[in-house]
Amino acid sequence: MSSLATVFNRKENAATLVETCSVRLENGLFGVPIRHILEIVGRARPQPVPLAPSYVGGLVHYRGDVLTTVSLRQLLDMPPLDGPQDILVLEGVLEGSGGCFGLLVDSVGEVLTVSSADHEPNPSILDERRRALFAGAYKLKDSLLVMLDAERLDPIRLDALPLAAAQAA
Amino acid sequence: MALDELTREFLIESQEGLDRMERCLTELEERPQDAGLIGDIFRSVHTIKGTTGFLGFKRLEKLAHAGENLLGMLREGKLTADGPITTGLLQLMDGLRSILKTIETEDSEGAGEDTALIERLEELQAPAQVQVQYAPVLAVALHGGATADASQQEDQALRNGAIPPPAFTDAPSPETSTVAIVAEAVLEKAQVASDGDTGKARAQGAGTAAESTLRVDVSLLNRMMNLVGELVLTRNQILQATASDPGLTLLSRRLDMVTADLRESVMKARMQPVSNIFSKMPRIVRDLSQMLGRKVRLQMEGQDTELDKSLLEAIKDPLTHAVRNSLDHGIEPPDVRVAAGKDPEGTLRLRAMQEGSHVVIEVCDDGAGIGVEKVRAKAVERGLITAERAAQLVERELLQLVFLPGFSTAAAVTNVSGRGVGMDVVKTNVEKIGGKVEIDSRPGQGTTLRLRIPLTLAIIPALIVHSVEQSFALPQGALSELVHIPPEQAATAIEWIEDVPLYRLRGKLLPLVFLDRLLMPGGAHKASTEKDNFIAVLNADGRQFGLVVDGLADPEEIVVKPLSAVLKNIGLYSGATVLGNAELALILDPGAIALKAGVTMSSLEQKGREVEQGTEAEAGKSLEYLLVEVADRRAAVPLADVLRIEQLKVSRIEYIGYRPVLNFEGQLLPVEDSGGVLAAVGSNPEAQIIVVVCREGNRQVGIAVSHVLDVAAGSDLFEAGTSTRAGGVTLLKSRVTGVVDLGGVPPVRVDEGTPAAWSQSNGELVEAAR
Repeated sequence: MSSLATVFNRKENAATLVETCSVRLENGLFGVPIRHILEIVGRARPQPVPLAPSYVGGLVHYRGDVLTTVSLRQLLDMPPLDGPQDILVLEGVLEGSGGCFGLLVDSVGEVLTVSSADHEPNPSILDERRRALFAGAYKLKDSLLVMLDAERLDPIRLDALPLAAAQAA
Repeated sequence: MALDELTREFLIESQEGLDRMERCLTELEERPQDAGLIGDIFRSVHTIKGTTGFLGFKRLEKLAHAGENLLGMLREGKLTADGPITTGLLQLMDGLRSILKTIETEDSEGAGEDTALIERLEELQAPAQVQVQYAPVLAVALHGGATADASQQEDQALRNGAIPPPAFTDAPSPETSTVAIVAEAVLEKAQVASDGDTGKARAQGAGTAAESTLRVDVSLLNRMMNLVGELVLTRNQILQATASDPGLTLLSRRLDMVTADLRESVMKARMQPVSNIFSKMPRIVRDLSQMLGRKVRLQMEGQDTELDKSLLEAIKDPLTHAVRNSLDHGIEPPDVRVAAGKDPEGTLRLRAMQEGSHVVIEVCDDGAGIGVEKVRAKAVERGLITAERAAQLVERELLQLVFLPGFSTAAAVTNVSGRGVGMDVVKTNVEKIGGKVEIDSRPGQGTTLRLRIPLTLAIIPALIVHSVEQSFALPQGALSELVHIPPEQAATAIEWIEDVPLYRLRGKLLPLVFLDRLLMPGGAHKASTEKDNFIAVLNADGRQFGLVVDGLADPEEIVVKPLSAVLKNIGLYSGATVLGNAELALILDPGAIALKAGVTMSSLEQKGREVEQGTEAEAGKSLEYLLVEVADRRAAVPLADVLRIEQLKVSRIEYIGYRPVLNFEGQLLPVEDSGGVLAAVGSNPEAQIIVVVCREGNRQVGIAVSHVLDVAAGSDLFEAGTSTRAGGVTLLKSRVTGVVDLGGVPPVRVDEGTPAAWSQSNGELVEAAR
């Protein structure tokens, strides 16, 4: 609610509004622009894939196809979570039916409308890897909403990601 | 490049027109006077010409126009369709095809010149003495081409194809028509046509087909197939969930039935008759036999047999290879044939039929057959096998050598074959889609090549195995047997060279791959002495190894789902599937596992052994027997012929007259019950019996047995004082055991009207595929 109020207050400033789906990971709040989201699959237990790259969260069954998921926890070097997780089904970089992939998060929250006036670019203090994954942050009233770069999360692109941090995992 | 709707429509229609033209042209050679055929060809070309006009494809229009003129004269009876004219028309068709292809890929006609072809078409009109009448039109059509130097034209014409100079076209030369192509279906059609008005009958046929059919994008069909697969899985889960609720039973039964029907319909929608690829063959046979100086009659049967579209595409090349091989190596030149007392005209038979869940395509010639001694010598010469090894191989095993990469018996490399890329390509391509290739040859009598293709690709039988606390699917195609090693035996049964695990499989060392260690290197794994070990003996691309898993579940028909690129790159999985219990399972790729684990065919010697093993499995000459008990007596069934062992209720057995038969997945299986096993069970319909399903030639037979005892190696027995092998018995576990004579099981006669097909390969009556 508080965020909505923020939005209303700022509406006059001719700033563009972005509808963002908020997701939770531990205590962090992240956002994915809803135009990238095809569907939300709740409470899924992905099937692990032995020998897959570490960022692969496993496979889930999605509309007659098998969907590869990317684990946000793994990408951010957090310990894996036991139990079911929510999945955002995102449009892939490649067009066509087989192009989509899933983003595995702890839970999916509400849709927030944020204003570009509150947006700040990635701080330079972030490591290279996070700078690649994040697309700045929105200042909410009581917290920060870290935007994820949906296109960079596509498994096809993740291979090219600086993996310095992932080696530890 | 994106084509507009109109152009795409035009391309599809033109392709269909040209396909029809190709069929008609090959028939035309047989019956040059058939006005209906000429009319058909004329219409095809005319339609192309008409449409190109307003689409603005000038090059295509010019060529089609030149062809139309020639066809017009044929139609008016001013010319007769002799050899050179047919050749010219075929070249016209090729020319049109290649321009259409260019339009499809580049959205333009390309910059090629058709002057030579157009002039040839013009020259072909010459004998009819009506040039004057057509001259003005031609002048337009020829455009700039007419200025070309005359001798140069002729030169080019000669280079492009074996067409005689214009002077010779007056009289149809006797040796031009070396091929007579007889397609059975075509003959039938001709019969009908001769009764009534050909043109009308054809036109009517075409009209109704166009009204009742619809073009559907293949990707849409794929999507439908996918969704149906999904529906099947959802149904499975609903059936499980509602099993205990009587109120829902009726509804879920209904859902079950509708889903099954829907799945069948969608599968059917993807089916296409094999005539789609068979129809290309007359042309190939015609061209090749002219080039090679052979006389060949092509017979085709079972063109209505249907196959999944993607599979049909996949066997197109192997089949073409096989036909080329038959013409080049199989059927001899006419003089050789006459010298051998055969009809100078060879016969090449293409036969398609459905056998259970497979489609069998036979390429059968009555040529020289494969000389096994020649094969032996060549294989040694090319270093594919050692001389000692070759000396030990029997005829059957030698035949399998032709499938080795790099093999060819052709003395000279021609541009048809002889480069040694023939049969192994056929074999690999067919095996890639889960099929099998069998070869059968008799010196002097001919060769039969049999391609066994599964009906569909999207659904394959697989064994579900467990490892690292997950389920994996292992395609049945690569699986040859399963061995169970309980924990207490693991210490002795699994032997080690350094850190390489091996298992003695009937005296031969089989390399083992532990799936858990492969999938989770460095993980903590239970020692094999602490758990049950199941060895799945796999044969992948000639590499034999045992995959050790923790557990086995039932075999399942799985729907193959593609994996994303990032998971495909791991190189171990060929796809994923959803099991009946809604669990996801990765499909293991046996070939990739062998590569990853370093199982290779290291030496030539080993290759020879692979071949030997291959033949044992395929040829039925194996010395391995399945030991069964039939009413207190022991009997042996050659293991290579055993397809599967079924345990079923005795009530499943039905009778035709006195003959017990089994309706197995819609197929009739004669059951041999010489031991009276069925009678012994009596009238209790719930009693379980065991039926060993065997392959016998082209058919399958069942043998009712009391128990299945063991698998054992048998050895030949010789009659005392002679060196004659005793037939029908073998020495199994040092006991003389009778071998079940599968050939002796009489075929089932469903009724008098069932046509029995004559199988050349084994010279027995077999059931026509129903």
